Amino acid sequence: MSKLIVVACGAGINTSTIAEDLIRERMEGEGLDVEVKRVLIADIDKYIGRMDLVVCMMKIYREFDVPQLKGMPFLIGTKAEKQVLLDEIVELIKD
Amino acid sequence: MEFIQTAVAWFLGLGSTVIVPIVLILLGLIFRVGWQKAVRGGVTVGVGLAGLFLVVNLIIAALQPAVGALATRLGLELALVDVNWADAGIAWGWPGVAGLVLSIIAVNLIMVFLRLTKTLWTDVWSYWHGSALAGFVWALTGSVVWGVVGGVLYLVLGSLMSDVTAKKYQEFNEMPGIGVPCGTTVQASIFAIPVVWLLERIPGLKDWDASPEGIRKRFGLIGEPAILGLVLGVIIGIAAGYNVQGILGLGMQVATMMLVLPRMVSIISEGLVPITMSIIEFMRERFPDREIYVAVDCAVLLGHPAVMASSVILFPLSILLAAILPGVKMLPIASLAVVPFWAGAVVPYTKGNVVKTVIVLLLFSIPFMYFSTLTADIHTATFANMGQFTAEIEQGLQLASWDMGGDPLGFVILNIFKLFGF
Repeated sequence: MSKLIVVACGAGINTSTIAEDLIRERMEGEGLDVEVKRVLIADIDKYIGRMDLVVCMMKIYREFDVPQLKGMPFLIGTKAEKQVLLDEIVELIKD
Repeated sequence: MEFIQTAVAWFLGLGSTVIVPIVLILLGLIFRVGWQKAVRGGVTVGVGLAGLFLVVNLIIAALQPAVGALATRLGLELALVDVNWADAGIAWGWPGVAGLVLSIIAVNLIMVFLRLTKTLWTDVWSYWHGSALAGFVWALTGSVVWGVVGGVLYLVLGSLMSDVTAKKYQEFNEMPGIGVPCGTTVQASIFAIPVVWLLERIPGLKDWDASPEGIRKRFGLIGEPAILGLVLGVIIGIAAGYNVQGILGLGMQVATMMLVLPRMVSIISEGLVPITMSIIEFMRERFPDREIYVAVDCAVLLGHPAVMASSVILFPLSILLAAILPGVKMLPIASLAVVPFWAGAVVPYTKGNVVKTVIVLLLFSIPFMYFSTLTADIHTATFANMGQFTAEIEQGLQLASWDMGGDPLGFVILNIFKLFGF
């Protein structure tokens, strides 16, 4: 089964779309079989057990049993900062 | 000359769902996102826009008779249909949107360069608040240029308010380097500063709080758009004197609207991603070593548990308030969707206190109730000018919203134009 990355933001309207785009592009570039799903923070629960990584666009005051990354650099970071974060995601998802 | 006029008229006659993709593809090429991404983005925005108007048609068909019947039965003055984020359709669909986007980028770069503001206006999506207001000004003055001027003024003031609030957001939400200059959200923070100061000085109220987790467990379901819509639809159906079939039908229609309207808005925003990325990099590269606040969407403020807890309490309270207050002609339904964003902007100031957040926002919503009523005519005229809902508008339909119809800053700017004789 393909791995699942959940990208969570407050409204599911704007901020997470940017991160979703970049992550998906990179995963395709790496040739990895990964599904990227954009959700509301309240909806993360639906993916517990199924997801392999959570990227949160903001502080969410919760913890899960899978790795959790802050996605803010996707919004405001320079190209280099985005690269670092994407590298980290690739590392985590390959494990 | 005549040829140019005919050509312009023909182009405008294509309608916003055709014009906007063309305009956005051009903007994409200007900001060098590449052909493929420019085309895909432009078409996506057009699709989102068309979808948004479809949903608004549904809302009008369902809510106009229901709210009308309810108003007659209860002797209320609620004549306006709440379309809330349909205004994003005005924003990305009015004829001056490209001019507005290029103007605010230019003005903001100059202002940051001259150190008049620290906020770099990179959140392209949130230009929509300024652009919707620009649409209103266009409808009022008949001039695209004045529209752009009004919209840019609004966004400039947003960046100045962001300068005031950025540090607080950064500390509370642990997001260094960001700012949130967008629309009514940042105004909620500015409003909260003196009100919270006052509330802290009222004995008894000072330490009163409610547990956000407790509220979430008990009322959390109401925080889900579809459930909230269903409940509201059923209540409105009952109050309007519908039969059971009608009540349940209306419940599902309002539920559909609450879930699908933001989804359509989300499609528009998706289409803007490539341009946004490119503009962020373009603007950031200009100020490599200076303290700046990079503008991000207000959704980043929604993480704290007190946000949803405050919102579910505010939903019924603000509906009741709108029904009771004399002269308020719009019952907030779709507009409730903006409440969590306001809560996100206020929570850093109340330190997550639910009771204080609710009090601040209940007060904050009152001007929105009146201004949305007062701007309904110009708001409706803007949709008509864009060729949307024209048949219904001719039959007397009037549209309103909190975000942007009720926006206090927007209201002031509109009235400045009125002072100058428009």
